[in-house]
Amino acid sequence: MTARFVRTQKELEGRYEDVWVLVDEADDVETWAPDADLALVGRPAPRQDGAARAAGRVRFTVDVHLAGMLHAAVLRSPVAHGRVRSLDLEAALAVTGVRAAIGPESELSLTTRAPLLAAEPAYAGQPIAVVAADTPEAARAGLDALALDLEVLPHVVDPQQALNEQRFTADPSDDARGDAEAALAVADVRVELSLDTPAHVQTPLEPHAAVASWDGDQLTAWVSTQGMFSAREELATAFGLRKDDVRVRTEFVGGGFGAKQGAGFEGLAAAELSRATGRPVRLVNDRHAEQLDGGRRAATRQTVRLGARRDGTITAIDADAVIAMGQGGWVMPVLIPARTLYHCADVRALTFPVKINLRAQNAFRAPGVMEGTAAFEQAIDELALALDLDPLELRRRNHTDVDQVSGLPYSSKHLLACYDRAAELAGWAGREELRASRGDGLLRGMGCATQIWWGGGGPPSHATVRLDADGHAHVVTGIQDIGTGTFTGAQIVAAEELGLPLDHVRVTGGDTGPNVYGPLAGGSQTTPSVMPAVRSASAKVRKILLQLAGDVFEIAAGDLEISNGRIRSRDGAIDAAVTEVTDKLGNATIDGSGSRGPNPEGFVVNTFGCQIAQIAVDPGLGEVRVERIVAVHDVGRIVNPLTASSQVEGGVLQGMAFALSEELVVDPTTGVPVNAHLDDYKIPTIADVPEIVIDFPHVPDANLPNVGSKGLGEPPIVPTAAAIANAFAHATGRRAAGLPLTRARVLEALA
Amino acid sequence: MTITLEVNGQRHVVDATGRRLLAVLRDDLELLGTKLACGEGACGACAVLLDGRSVNSCLLLAEAAAGHEIVTIEGLSTGRASALQDAFVAEDALQCGFCTPGQVVSATALLEQTPGPTREQIHEAMAGNLCRCGAYPKIERAILRAAGDA
Repeated sequence: MTARFVRTQKELEGRYEDVWVLVDEADDVETWAPDADLALVGRPAPRQDGAARAAGRVRFTVDVHLAGMLHAAVLRSPVAHGRVRSLDLEAALAVTGVRAAIGPESELSLTTRAPLLAAEPAYAGQPIAVVAADTPEAARAGLDALALDLEVLPHVVDPQQALNEQRFTADPSDDARGDAEAALAVADVRVELSLDTPAHVQTPLEPHAAVASWDGDQLTAWVSTQGMFSAREELATAFGLRKDDVRVRTEFVGGGFGAKQGAGFEGLAAAELSRATGRPVRLVNDRHAEQLDGGRRAATRQTVRLGARRDGTITAIDADAVIAMGQGGWVMPVLIPARTLYHCADVRALTFPVKINLRAQNAFRAPGVMEGTAAFEQAIDELALALDLDPLELRRRNHTDVDQVSGLPYSSKHLLACYDRAAELAGWAGREELRASRGDGLLRGMGCATQIWWGGGGPPSHATVRLDADGHAHVVTGIQDIGTGTFTGAQIVAAEELGLPLDHVRVTGGDTGPNVYGPLAGGSQTTPSVMPAVRSASAKVRKILLQLAGDVFEIAAGDLEISNGRIRSRDGAIDAAVTEVTDKLGNATIDGSGSRGPNPEGFVVNTFGCQIAQIAVDPGLGEVRVERIVAVHDVGRIVNPLTASSQVEGGVLQGMAFALSEELVVDPTTGVPVNAHLDDYKIPTIADVPEIVIDFPHVPDANLPNVGSKGLGEPPIVPTAAAIANAFAHATGRRAAGLPLTRARVLEALA
Repeated sequence: MTITLEVNGQRHVVDATGRRLLAVLRDDLELLGTKLACGEGACGACAVLLDGRSVNSCLLLAEAAAGHEIVTIEGLSTGRASALQDAFVAEDALQCGFCTPGQVVSATALLEQTPGPTREQIHEAMAGNLCRCGAYPKIERAILRAAGDA
């Protein structure tokens, strides 16, 4: 190993930081050429754990049952804002089977920046007390015995009121370049569009959950999380432990979509109660708690003003966004589409993060960018109408290969190819004929939208590979597979590099025990961060294997190659199974470790794409039916087309539901969400699914380390709602003032 | 109240007092493939077969299941169910996998009653099984594939 430290820029969901990266010169494997003849990468492969999942054999956090385990139940605020007058912990402890009860005033062994439990809850659903008991029933009886008495305080849940009263979670920001106002004033054509976007709840079917168990001063925590290493950090910090004394296990996660970022309240509370009682403790959100306090994409109110020349050149962009943050959270980059999607020198982007009595907003797949695209890309279509230009043509004319904020070129960008391919697949040329009546009383239309997201990943990310005497390799990663298929992606990359059949490679992760670091499964960073590390580790093992094969066959290692589990000499004289070499290992293994190298200097890494929606509107019933979505996304090299298409379908369906049905509704009088259940918060069913047509340009990014892939978690959700709303305007000639396009909103728009 | 439940062909004596079938299956019999996701009968993650029909075990009182034949995902490994599981894997009709046991249970019930379902019949039969990851297009394909293979 030749080690050195390199300073590099790392990005997560649009937030950049400079980090030191440990670089091993031996990790510098060349990127596979775009036309390389690869046996496994780029070919569809079923998931390595598919059969176990289909048989219901995989164990999620909610399935962890330990001997002597206690069940925790959480008392949550029934009001949007209040103050605890009394809480009878002693009465709870007197309930048969209750082993611990903690409230806002309790002495805890953990320390966290914010109090674990609230004496003055500031949103409905905020935890006030937790009880642990022998059975879930006893824990619930314990909650009843607490006899909570709350003084109700005034609340604010209306973002406009919060704005008027200047209640912010962070300072409003003004991201400007040039002079948008002056450019607007002299523009040939001006359009303006305002849009309300809904609070959108992640709704993973496995709720937030944790099981904690102490052994002396060592803690093991099973956490349903997208970030087991961030959970480890959080727990170690809270309890004053060395990281190595905390083991977080999270092999299978029943969905997260951004909502499960670390140890969470569940992990901290379960660990606290477990320490206090000396027994393992399980804390699982019930559905109502999950919908109230699992998180959400914040509602926004956005206004976009555009100015352009007659030829379609965009000359001014002036956008503002009021983000209904709740009690806090990081300010999502809602106006990134306005700032970066098209070439424009004069831009102003004002963001107002308002504080209201809802839970702090958190990440939901393409946080900020998706809801920002929903507004901005509708404004672009309005501009196309005003200019009498084809909407795709307007987008092409304002294309840029340079990041508009930094002035740096993109590492790769094949957006124009995405437009062409999407138009071809959707039948864009027949868009106007689509509006002709088919005699079924429905109004049809077609709309498009452009996608931008990051997704370049970065260091640190590590992997180790061990090749056994039986010729099978075991890849240890630090990733948690939340449903994306990353274990299988790593299996494909490792098998390709090692020259082994796919089923001779097994990938594990979901356990911080081995201390092989991997990133949070979020921000579309897993594939571009982890796969290069897996490939580097595999390349080292391959190199050693070939050296050993050279000894065995008495030939120079450089004259040998491996594929599909066989070692061959270039002259054809040797053709032997890998095991003819490895079986001499006995109990030894060939080991290799690899790490993700630094990001390319002088480039900005983004993903791009285009979606086209075809919809039918029933003007009598106000019903919108999506008939087809075409999705073409440029994410570099596709490792596994089978799971990649699953990612796209999932993103499209969540984006479609944001456009049509999903909205957390808050009662303004009480400040309490009224549909925090699955029967009235409408996520799509199988009967709502349109035809989804998917393609990728399949061009590896030559500037990214050794695999050339970008992430695909976020991109497909980004443009769907905008494309549907644009199709609605095309079909009806109207725009709704807000999303989702419920029947009420549709009928109002058509009135 | 103690009752006898027949689950996956085996008889179990369980305490059913005020309890849902799902709680008995998961907590007493440790049949953990059946999931609790909403507890409101709105998502189908807890689906089991009751005399061959797909029911939400989170809403069914355990005592109401006495005298009926209950099959959970753990009891599905032959015939149509096995073909379905293979098809789910081949078509990638699962992502996080949390809803998958319920999907397989409901799809098994569908194919038992309607061996060659149309797309509309699939939508009708499977609309009670939510998948937040959005595996629906491939679930539909997997069911059609299993129906064709059977």
